[in-house]
Amino acid sequence: MTHSPSVSRRNAIRMLGAGAVAGTALSGAPGVFTSHAADTFDYRALVCVFLFGGMDSHDVLIPFQQAEYDGWRSIRRSFVARQGASRDRGALLPLARVSRPPEEPPQHALAPELASIKALYDAGDAAVIANVGPLVEPVTRQAFEAGVARVPPRLFSHNDQQNIWQAGAPEGAQFGWGGLFADAVLAAGGNSFRPQFTTITTEEVGPFLTGRTASPYRIGIDGAAQVNILEEFADQTDPAFVSAVRDQLAGRSFMGENVIERDIAAKFGSGLDSNDFYGQALASGMPSFGGFGAGPLSAQLRAVANTIAVRGRLSASRQVFFVGLGGFDTHSAQAVDLPNLLRELDSATAAFHSAMASLGLSRQVTLFTASDFGRTLAVNGDGTDHGWGSHHFAIGGAVRGGEIYGEVPPSIIGHDQEVGGGRLIPSLAVDQYAAQLGRWFGLAPSEIGTALPNLGRFTSPDWQFI
Amino acid sequence: MISQPLQLCRPILAFSSTLAASLLLTGCGGDDSSAAPIVIEGPSVTTSEGAFATSQSTARFLTQATFGPVPSQISGLTGTSASSWFAQQLAMEPTLVEPEFEAYIALSEEAAQESDELSFAAPSFVFWKHAIEAPDQLRLRMAFALSQILVVSDAGGEILSDVPESMVGYQDILRNHAFGNYRDLLEAITYNPAMGEWLTYMGNQKADETGRVPDENYARELLQLFTVGIVELQPNGEPRLQNGQPVELYNNQDVTGLARVFTGLDIAGLDRSVFPSLVDAVGEVDDLGENFLRPMTFNDALHSEREKTFLNCSIPAGTRTLDSITQALDCIMAHPNVGPFVSRQLIQRFTTSAPSPAYVERVAAAFDAGRFLLPDGRQVGTGRKGDLPPTLAAILFDAEAQVDAALNNAQFGKIREPVLRFTNWARAFDVDASKPEYALELTDTSNPSALSQHPHRARSVFNFYRPGYTAPGTQSGALGMTVPELQIVNATSTTGYINFMTFWTFGGLDMLDPGEIEEELSELNIPFDRAEVARAWRPDYTAEIAVADNAAALLDRLDRNLLYGTLSSEARAAIERAVNQIPLDDEDDEDARALRASLAVFLIMTSPDYLVQR
Repeated sequence: MTHSPSVSRRNAIRMLGAGAVAGTALSGAPGVFTSHAADTFDYRALVCVFLFGGMDSHDVLIPFQQAEYDGWRSIRRSFVARQGASRDRGALLPLARVSRPPEEPPQHALAPELASIKALYDAGDAAVIANVGPLVEPVTRQAFEAGVARVPPRLFSHNDQQNIWQAGAPEGAQFGWGGLFADAVLAAGGNSFRPQFTTITTEEVGPFLTGRTASPYRIGIDGAAQVNILEEFADQTDPAFVSAVRDQLAGRSFMGENVIERDIAAKFGSGLDSNDFYGQALASGMPSFGGFGAGPLSAQLRAVANTIAVRGRLSASRQVFFVGLGGFDTHSAQAVDLPNLLRELDSATAAFHSAMASLGLSRQVTLFTASDFGRTLAVNGDGTDHGWGSHHFAIGGAVRGGEIYGEVPPSIIGHDQEVGGGRLIPSLAVDQYAAQLGRWFGLAPSEIGTALPNLGRFTSPDWQFI
Repeated sequence: MISQPLQLCRPILAFSSTLAASLLLTGCGGDDSSAAPIVIEGPSVTTSEGAFATSQSTARFLTQATFGPVPSQISGLTGTSASSWFAQQLAMEPTLVEPEFEAYIALSEEAAQESDELSFAAPSFVFWKHAIEAPDQLRLRMAFALSQILVVSDAGGEILSDVPESMVGYQDILRNHAFGNYRDLLEAITYNPAMGEWLTYMGNQKADETGRVPDENYARELLQLFTVGIVELQPNGEPRLQNGQPVELYNNQDVTGLARVFTGLDIAGLDRSVFPSLVDAVGEVDDLGENFLRPMTFNDALHSEREKTFLNCSIPAGTRTLDSITQALDCIMAHPNVGPFVSRQLIQRFTTSAPSPAYVERVAAAFDAGRFLLPDGRQVGTGRKGDLPPTLAAILFDAEAQVDAALNNAQFGKIREPVLRFTNWARAFDVDASKPEYALELTDTSNPSALSQHPHRARSVFNFYRPGYTAPGTQSGALGMTVPELQIVNATSTTGYINFMTFWTFGGLDMLDPGEIEEELSELNIPFDRAEVARAWRPDYTAEIAVADNAAALLDRLDRNLLYGTLSSEARAAIERAVNQIPLDDEDDEDARALRASLAVFLIMTSPDYLVQR
């Protein structure tokens, strides 16, 4: 639809150093990749799928026993009707649990849009972790209502709860647990050749991937971002001229005192360097993965899969990725919008799992979901409002799948695990959820404790989903 | 809809302070304005003032206050009174979106085949054209700043993009109220259907026996993002601490209480028994677009009769829709947080990302008092809390923001917003922006491979970046400085910006084959004139080309026009080196001269010296 900005038609550029030898050098980028001890056998990656806006897990994990289902449906009748047959009990996907006798009837079911995740669950490669959310310490409804409970600040606020999920503190938080996990890897000498590829995002990430050492590298969905003018010049001009332009774009000449100018000069410089290196790694060849659709999460997870495919060339043995899907803030039109989002989540994560299997990495890559918060069970007409705890997924060959971990509160209003309107008090802290991922990632207990300083306030559950 | 001729609003080139008022008033005409009266009293002293004392300070002030200085404007205003310029800008009729939008609709209807592109992208087209060419620059900059606090966005791809009138009406509210009062502006946006759709309270109803409860979305964001924030503030914008901790202003019960206020509002003219969902009305209801240009209507029968308690305010049971809204907005507006909360964010949009608490306090005082004395002694404002002209004057004329103080302060400044970098280029090089529909690159610049920012297209109500963003792993972050724009600076967006500006600085539409442009426009049913296509969206580097044989002279000129004289010696040397590598075969080698000019503009506009406005 739009013109592609390119300098190729600018004839004048051709005049530059006419006859010069085709340029080779983008200065700063090595021409040959050094082989390195990045041990792909031992490779591990975590992939955080952030569901921006607050996913309504009341509409994802649905009570399946007739009486409980009827109660749920009654509370949600104003928009369940608009969802048509998809929320009929017979259309739901009941979840057996490996920990229970096979004859025990399923208590919960997934929304039918999640058929692929259901298949992974049945195959033992996906699990549901119930009622996860930010906590400072265990909270009861009585303590919450009496105002004596210690709770995370700024509950129910999008940006703050996103930050708290990612970094344990409201907006302004600096260090996220993904970045702190990466710090532990770097401190142990992992990824030492190219540390910048330890934490990678396809989205505008909050603090999640920032540690004291690690900082996120942003990739595009179509490979490495390349500087058009350098590509154009490189074929036509004196390499010294190309280097001069590149150095200027990378802020190499900058010596100013202004703090913000220094920061932006550094961002331009590191961005160009990393893009060059990443682009060369991708260009070295990667498998083309089938199965990814055209949706926004699919495109991001395909980019992650492509990156993992060239992990050796990036010298990465441990990586933390961040991808995101927006639109979950379903204050209205939930009946239409949420099913579409769930279909995208389903298809993208399943395609990613297949891609990892095709690389032989399904046991070495674990994907998990996160979100601002859950939502109310009560409806506001055609949508739901901000809540607190919500149910999440972990997917990968290392996941102890086919199980719902933790406690799923009843889908009624007025029980002890909610604070009004069906806003769930989390029964598992984000720190506990993260700690199990960190242990699998290879972190020692002390390293996990550094990344999740609040963990000690909670008693470990008697289960591990991974 | 009524067809109106397209208005051409070229920037006013050279004008003297005495001529300015009359010239400016003949610029782009406005619609009836609902703006509050602007009072300017007191003596008018037409002497040179700090802000316009030198060409450097003039260019810098115009960088802060407009969509970019026009070179002839820098020379024309230097030595005149900045207070007068400010007062003249206040007095100008607003350039509005709606007339121009209707002209686009008429154009589309006259075309052989109706052009969806023309109508859907029209709000964006009109924004670019006005930002680059309209004379009431200060007002439009203020409206753009407000659009990043009171965010409504058409990024979602549903009603707000399918019904372009929604964004037209919203943009015009911001323009009409940009020099009005914040309380009045809050009322206007509360009744605006685009906001009602965006924050999902259009059609919102009181609680009922089915368990339905009022939608909390607008109530929450009105408090958190538009007026008071989350924690108690001191008058200087810093959090008030109790036992070392910030004090939260409200909890979810307050939000639930306030949510009851915003029940009973709905878009005019829609039969909800036929169209319970607005999406179904698109394409079915003829005057849906028209009704997005009007305030929402109310239905007391759907409005909550219960008591509404929030923020130490209480609206008695039985209060009806309009009274509830009036009381709620009055009560919120009376909160002491509003001044510092709004002022700090406005400062960040104009002058500096991490203002000192004292600067915030001075601006908040002007906001609260509704008064400010311009440097020449005239008073701006009506004396009512929330008046925006004194607030804006306090931001631009504050001592901390003046050239000498600011350039010596290593923590002063802000990353230029990507949208403003582009408009600055267009204004600096006299780009003909009168036909924005020819520049399809501008229909969406929000992708990181372009600008990471598009007017009225933030990803969420949290804008493109957050006012409290401190960038991890940076020097500014280590100092605790808030630098919102750093939130959209990353390895993808830096390269995206470089590539985007390569296209424009090396020629704009000149970079494309005219046949290809015409083919694309034809495919989209966009009418065009071949001669106009050949003229549109190209930089005029005539003056640069004239001195391009002398790299130092070329950079002197660009330094003055783009950088208010702050090009560092290191960057100057590096850019000169690159420019000098382009050989000039003989003195008439126009192509090589043009290339030198383009390269110099490009390298300046991608340099740290330029990217940060100090």
